[in-house]
Amino acid sequence: MAENGESSGPPRPSRGPAAAQGPASAPVEPKIIKVTVKTPKEKEEFAVPENSSVQQFKEAISKRFKSQTDQLVLIFAGKILKDQDTLIQHGIHDGLTVHLVIKSQNRPQGQSTQPSNAAGTNTTSASTPRSNSTSISTNSNPFGLGSLGGLAGLSSLGLSSTNFSELQNQMQQQLLSSPEMMIQIMENPFVQSMLSNPDLMRQLIMANPQMQQLIQRNPEISHLLNNPDIMRQTLEIARNPAMMQEMMRNQDLALSNLESIPGGYNALRRMYTDIQEPMLNAAQEQFGGNPFASVGSSSSSGEGTQPSRTENRDPLPNPWAPPPATQSSATTSTTTSSGSGSGSSSSSATGNTVAAANYVASIFSTPGMQSLLQQITENPQLIQNMLSAPYMRSMMQSLSQNPDLAAQMMLNSPVFTANPQLQEQMRPQLPAFLQQMQNPDTLSAMSNPRAMQALMQIQQGLQTLATEAPGLIPSFTPGVGVGVLGTAIGPVGPVTPIGPIGPIVPFTPIGPIGPIGPTGPAGPGSTSSGGPPGPTVSSSTPSETNSPTSESGPNQQFIQQMVQALAGASPPQLPNPEVRFQQQLEQLNAMGFLNHEANLQALIATGGDINAAIERLLGSQPS
Amino acid sequence: MEPPNLYPVKLYVYDLSKGLARRLSPIMLGKQLEGIWHTSIVVHKDEFFFGSGGISSCPPGGTLLGPPDSVVDVGSTEVTEELFLEYLSSLGESLFRSEAYNLFEHNCNTFTNEVAQFLTGRKIPSYITDLPSEILSTPLPTPGPCSFANPDSVSPELGPCPTEILAGLAGSARPFGQALRPLLDSIQIQPPGGSAVGRPNGQS
Repeated sequence: MAENGESSGPPRPSRGPAAAQGPASAPVEPKIIKVTVKTPKEKEEFAVPENSSVQQFKEAISKRFKSQTDQLVLIFAGKILKDQDTLIQHGIHDGLTVHLVIKSQNRPQGQSTQPSNAAGTNTTSASTPRSNSTSISTNSNPFGLGSLGGLAGLSSLGLSSTNFSELQNQMQQQLLSSPEMMIQIMENPFVQSMLSNPDLMRQLIMANPQMQQLIQRNPEISHLLNNPDIMRQTLEIARNPAMMQEMMRNQDLALSNLESIPGGYNALRRMYTDIQEPMLNAAQEQFGGNPFASVGSSSSSGEGTQPSRTENRDPLPNPWAPPPATQSSATTSTTTSSGSGSGSSSSSATGNTVAAANYVASIFSTPGMQSLLQQITENPQLIQNMLSAPYMRSMMQSLSQNPDLAAQMMLNSPVFTANPQLQEQMRPQLPAFLQQMQNPDTLSAMSNPRAMQALMQIQQGLQTLATEAPGLIPSFTPGVGVGVLGTAIGPVGPVTPIGPIGPIVPFTPIGPIGPIGPTGPAGPGSTSSGGPPGPTVSSSTPSETNSPTSESGPNQQFIQQMVQALAGASPPQLPNPEVRFQQQLEQLNAMGFLNHEANLQALIATGGDINAAIERLLGSQPS
Repeated sequence: MEPPNLYPVKLYVYDLSKGLARRLSPIMLGKQLEGIWHTSIVVHKDEFFFGSGGISSCPPGGTLLGPPDSVVDVGSTEVTEELFLEYLSSLGESLFRSEAYNLFEHNCNTFTNEVAQFLTGRKIPSYITDLPSEILSTPLPTPGPCSFANPDSVSPELGPCPTEILAGLAGSARPFGQALRPLLDSIQIQPPGGSAVGRPNGQS
């Protein structure tokens, strides 16, 4: 071993007795020497002629270590032994140890992986300024701040990197995959202080070359960055991990709900193709492949946009012919406008629902649509994948914040061009729609394939019911029945949301239903039943919730009843109908319907729709 | 054939006791120790060391220990960074896994020695590698009431621990050695500030 130490440094001719004077004069007789070859994992002794070349040595080694000679790298005294050298040349003598590294095919920590990682990191940061500002700020900490509080703890998290850009990538990856870590980092006061400085954050983001590239391609991002309000808001959100999660979830929700709007899928798809895809592809390595690859391909395999649309419409198929649907839609819109006393959201929602329902009915008949719809419903994973894409979330967020953009996107699809009325109806509805999508329940529902399937089933059930027994569905204006539960609600009042929600139904089974719970004393049955009618119902509920109209309660109740009945749940435990329908009762009384019992019954049956209740009362009076 | 690049290899030497060992060791151990040495190899502008968390790396002087107490020039190497990292990752899976860490037998200096030989063919100075045996060879003490730092509490702390041990020993009348072996064996040193080398994400 002492020999090793002494033979270090420049490879002088060995000092051994048989040492040659120089590389040229090697002893004639090829003495066999024993050289130890040491790898990180093992150690073997080789007997080779003293004057053999490195190449020959490697061949002997490759047999023993079962590798190819070009994978072997021999190191002695700090020098890499080249094939054409000789052992003597490097002073390798009997009993000395030569180090060996066997190169593996894939380099886990090669420089090559770093650029892609960096690209992934930076595209991620580009696309999601909020979450990534966190990452960026955190990543900027390690540089030169080895003792950063949070960072020190990270060393034990298994980040395997000696290079800082790779460290950054790995950190980002870890952050994205581990919410606890994110929380930890977020709580670090240093990080927080960094985040609270929008200028600094912007600088950090801009300093990233990938980000700069992205900005060049998408000027909107630079606008985003340069807008101090947005930056501040972003940082605010980034500072608060819970809020950030919420935001991201809302984004997801919004995006997924967006899909259900006619043409929404198109718009989303366009969004995805234009913006997300390159980023996702760039980040492919980091995220383990483009999660949307399958989605895109499967979607495109059969008019991807169409199926979504159809599926979305599925709950709203209008069993009645389009003309009646149009009428009903007209009626609905009228009703809606008159019914929903409050926010345009509800009316827009209603209009949207109706329009959507009508449209759905017309296109639903296409068998192609149906099969595609089936495909989608059978593979909720697609939706889930789409929903869970981090970029999708950001898209949704931006959409919800920029209703004009959303409107533009969604209304550009051919669906709307064919139906300008629908377009108009959809437009004002978008904000409410997006608002609705912020509901985290929707998101959770959407990502639950079983829930979505249940929703679909309910939709189909309602549809069948409407066709088979229209009378069973109380006072629904045409188009309300089946999947158009929304529509049904439409005329009733601010149920509208079903329109856009309808399509979403498969995606957001619980979302729309969710609000039912909080908004009304709806039993869990209504919530759990999911199904198309459910969501549509629920969708209406949120809008109802949002718009404090007097009919929201009754609508809710009605929806709950429907859903529960369909789900076979126990009789709905509604709050005292008398309380709920008090206003309607008063109105009926004022109109001259003095039979309190009958009024109540009618109201319950129609879910609080005064007009329908009146018709009912009038119809039953003769008897 | 162009001359291959030569990369300098340096040995960073840290005294974990920050000078306390030099002052207290004669009293406590009966022999003079200049320091409790922790070493790392610096090559390719990165510092590599081995601790209870396995092989780690950081920017030179980037651990919580701060700048090294002394720097030893080990030589130069032709080994490229890529090759070196591959070597380290193999080491990390075989000989220098995190669970292989032992304060006496298989510690940071063992690693540094190994790496130095790989890179340059030279070993690190012997006063560093002889430290464990120095400590262990101190004469057996008379059993005395000694209260030492709780070995279980040693996690990524560094510096203080060996020093605490030594300080705790101040209470004993005589120097010790083998008697403390079980205690010392459980000590693990891992200077914070590095990141893992050669381990897939999530493993350490």
